[in-house]
Amino acid sequence: MNALPDQSIDARAWLLWGAAASLPLLTGRHPVVLLELLIIVVVVRQVCVHRRGAVGWSWLLRLAALAVPIGVIFNVMTVHAGDQVIFRIPEAIPLIGGPVTWNACVYGVLSGLTIVALIAVGTTIAAVIEWSALIRLLPARAGNLAVAGSVAWSFLPRLATSWREIRESQSARGHQWSGVRDFVPLIVPLLAGGLDRSIATAESLEARGFGVLSTGNQMRLPASLSMIAALTAAVAGLYLFATGNSLQAAALIPACGAMALIAVRLGRSRSMIQPTHYRRATWSARDTAASAGAVIALLATGVALQAAPESLRYEPYPEITVPTTEPLFVLLLACLLVPALVAPAGVESGVSR
Amino acid sequence: MIDQAIATRKPLAHLRDVSFRYPDSDRIALDHLEWEIQPGEMLLVVGRSGSGKSTMLRTLNGLVPHFSGGKFAGSVTVCGASTRAQGPNQLSRHVGMVFQHPETQVLGSRVDEDIAFALEQHGTPRSTMRKRVEELLDLLSIETLRHRDPASLSGGERQRVAIAGALALHPDLLVLDEPTSQLDPWGAEDVLAALTRLNEDLGLSVVIAEHRLERLLHRVDRVVQVGDGGELHASITPGEFVRRAEPLALPPVTRIGLALEWTPIPLTVKQARLPAREMVLSIDPFDAGREVGDAVIEAIDIRLKHGRGTILSGVDLTLRQGELVALIGRNGSGKTTLIRSLLGHHPVAGGQLVFPSERLDQASPASIGRRIGYLPQQATAMFFAETVRDEIAFTARNRGQKPDDRHVEVALERVGLSGYAERHPRDLSGGEQERLALAIMLTGDPIALMLDEPTRGMDAWRKADLIRILDEYRQRGGAVLMATHDVELVARIADRVMMLGDREVIAEGTPREVLGGSLTFTTQSQLVFGDDWLTPESVIRAAMASDHVP
Repeated sequence: MNALPDQSIDARAWLLWGAAASLPLLTGRHPVVLLELLIIVVVVRQVCVHRRGAVGWSWLLRLAALAVPIGVIFNVMTVHAGDQVIFRIPEAIPLIGGPVTWNACVYGVLSGLTIVALIAVGTTIAAVIEWSALIRLLPARAGNLAVAGSVAWSFLPRLATSWREIRESQSARGHQWSGVRDFVPLIVPLLAGGLDRSIATAESLEARGFGVLSTGNQMRLPASLSMIAALTAAVAGLYLFATGNSLQAAALIPACGAMALIAVRLGRSRSMIQPTHYRRATWSARDTAASAGAVIALLATGVALQAAPESLRYEPYPEITVPTTEPLFVLLLACLLVPALVAPAGVESGVSR
Repeated sequence: MIDQAIATRKPLAHLRDVSFRYPDSDRIALDHLEWEIQPGEMLLVVGRSGSGKSTMLRTLNGLVPHFSGGKFAGSVTVCGASTRAQGPNQLSRHVGMVFQHPETQVLGSRVDEDIAFALEQHGTPRSTMRKRVEELLDLLSIETLRHRDPASLSGGERQRVAIAGALALHPDLLVLDEPTSQLDPWGAEDVLAALTRLNEDLGLSVVIAEHRLERLLHRVDRVVQVGDGGELHASITPGEFVRRAEPLALPPVTRIGLALEWTPIPLTVKQARLPAREMVLSIDPFDAGREVGDAVIEAIDIRLKHGRGTILSGVDLTLRQGELVALIGRNGSGKTTLIRSLLGHHPVAGGQLVFPSERLDQASPASIGRRIGYLPQQATAMFFAETVRDEIAFTARNRGQKPDDRHVEVALERVGLSGYAERHPRDLSGGEQERLALAIMLTGDPIALMLDEPTRGMDAWRKADLIRILDEYRQRGGAVLMATHDVELVARIADRVMMLGDREVIAEGTPREVLGGSLTFTTQSQLVFGDDWLTPESVIRAAMASDHVP
C-alpha cells in the first residue's frame, strides 16, 4: 500500500521555510552563510524528500559545475576591480577590457553557488509540496490566477518525465548528442509535449469546477484598490527589508495591514461562498516547530541586516579579506534544520498536507 | 419502444445547428450538428480518429468554445443552461467529464481528496462532502484505494477514481472521451462495468466516445456516428449500427455473424455461442508457418533490475529476420523494460545480449538506434522539425543514408503519406502522425523494429494500416518485437508470443500454444469456437469452405 502519511509537514510551514532559506541568499554573498545554507538544504532534502521519482544529487553537482564557471567567467569579464590582478585584457576591447582579478573570480564563485543554493531551495520546496495542497491555499478570488499557477506548477515535473522518453525516442533514430545544437530535437518536443499535458490538466481543472466561486464574484473597485495598495506596501516593505532598511520596512507594516483589512472588509461586504476543505487542516506540533525554526531564521536575518550587515554580506573588493562571522547568527540560521529533525522516520515523508 | 418512450421526455442536452472551427485552423471541426441526449440514456459516439468526437463531447460542458477558443455557431443547452452563458466550471454541476489520459486528471494527493476536489470548489459543506465521497468510493468499488496516492494506481483504478471525481457533484450527464483507450483489457472491463452500473442503477445519462466496441456495443442504447467532416451521420440502435457500419470497426463475433448471415447478429460472445454450436469447422485454421531467417537479436538468460528489485530474470529471446514476436502480460510485467534493455536504454544486470549480424553488443543507444527502430507509446512526441521531409531526413542522416528526396519519398510511400513531405508534422491528424512515426522508424531499413503498445487509442482503420505496414516490413526481412495488450492483434499477426508474469517468461510459443486455452489473454473467436480458432478471418474462411448456413 502506497499511502501518504498524515505526519508530513504542512505546506504553509514549508513555504515559510523556503522564504527563510532564500532571504539570506538574496541579500548577500557571505561564504560562511552560503556554505551553511547549502549544507542545511542538502540535509533537509536528504531527510524529507523521499517521494517516488525524486531525483538524486547528481543534478545538483552538474548544476554547480555549470553555474560556478559561468558566474566566474561573467564576473571576471565584466568587473575589473580588486587588488589581486591575474592578467590584463587590453582596455581597447569594449566591455571586457581591463584587469582580470582574483577578487572578481572569488565573487563569481560565490554568485554561482548562490544560484545553486537558491535552485536547491526551490526544488526542495517543489518536491515536498503537493501542487494540489498549494492550490487549496489560494483564495477563491484568485481562481484564474490559480489555474495558470497550477498549470505552471505541473509543467516542470512533467518535463522531467518527458525528458527520458524523448531522449530515448531520438536515440532510437540514431541521434547522438555531441553539442548544443543537438539539443534541438530534444527541447522542441519536450516543450510541446509538456505544454500539451499541462493544457490537459488545466482542462480537467475547469471541468471539475475549479475557480467557479470566483466566476461572477469579481471584487468591487474600492476593495480591489485597497488590495493593490496593501500589496504595493508589502512589496516596498520587502525591498526595504532586503536592502537593510528594516526600520523603514517595519514602519510599512501597519499601512500594509490596514489596507489589507479594508480590502477584506469591503470584500466580505458581499455575500460570497468560500471554497470548503474536505480534510480538516490540522496544525501539528511538527508544523509549529518547523515554522518556529523558519521564523527564528527570518528574524535573525532581519536583525543581522540592520545591526551587523557584514555577517550577511561579503565583498572581496577592493581586497580579499577573511569574512566576518557572527556565531550567534550562524547558530540561529541552523534553526532551518528543524524540518529534518522533526520529519517522521521510516515512512514516505515530506509530502505536504 | 424505448425510443418512443424517451422521445416524449424533455432532452437533457440539446445541440442546435452547432458548427465549430478551432483557432488558426482552416478545417471545420463540427458541421451543423443537431443532437439530443435524453435522460437516462447510455450513448456511444463512434467515428474515425480526427472526426470531431472529442470536440463534440467538449461542447457539452462548454470547454468548447470557452477553453479552446475558436469560432462557434449555434447553441448547446444542458439541463436548461446555455453553454454560451456558463463556462465549464459552472456547468460542472450538470456535466461530469472524464478524459482519455488518467494521469492528467489527478488533482489531489490522495484518492479521497481527489474525489472531493469539485465539491471543495463549489463550497460544499464538509459533512456533505464526507458523505458523497463515501458513496462514490462504494459505488465505483474503490473503497480500498481511499488513502492511496493516485500516482500509485493502475490505469483502470485511476480512471475509476476520475469517474468518481466527475460524479462528485451529482451531475445529470457523464461524458467520457475514450476512457479505456490507455487501459489494459482488465482495466477497461472494470471501467465499463462501473459505467453500466451507474446508468442502470442510478439512471445517470452517459455519453462515451470509444474505438474499442467489443466490450461496449451491447451495453448502450444508441450509437451516434460522426462523419469525417464533423457532421452527424446517424443516431441509431446498436442493431442498426452493425448493419450499417463497416465490418472492420465491429467486434470479431459481430463480423463473423455478419459474414455468415446469422440472425440476430451477435454483439457478445454469449450471443454468438448459440449459432456457433451448430457449426462444425473442420479445415486447419492455421496458415503454414512463415519462413524466418537468421537471428538478429539474441538475449541469453538476461536479468533486469530496477533499484534493488528484480523486474525480469532468466529471459531467453531470439528474434529472427521476417519474424514478429509479441510480448504480452499485465501492466508492470516488464514488457517495456525488456524492449528498453534491448535498445540499450535500460542496463542488463545479468546474462548476455548478442546481435549476431551487427557489432552492437557493447554499443551506445544511439548506435543501436541506427540499426534498430523503436516506436514508443508516445511516438508522436519525437517530432521537432518544421516539415515531414526534415523529420525523415534527420533519421536518414543519423542512419548513414543520404537524406535526399528519393529516401523521403520511399519512406512516405510505404506508410501511405505520399505528398505530405512539406507539411508540418504537428499539423497532421493523429493517424497521420502515427504513420509518420512509423515512416521515421523504417527509414534506413533497420534490421529490427521494436513497438510498445502500438495500437493504443487507434481506430480500426489505423490498426489495419499498421498491420499492412508491418507485413510489408517483414516481407523485406525485418524482425519485429511488439509489446501489446491487444490480443486480437497478436492472434492476427504474431509468429510467436511470449507471456510475461511473475518476473519471468511464463509461456512461449505460437499464438495457438500461448493464447489457446487461456481465459484472459484470448480472443472473442477462441471463446466461441475453441482453442483452434483465434481470428474471425479463420472462422469465416473455414465456414465458407464448409458452406455452413446455420
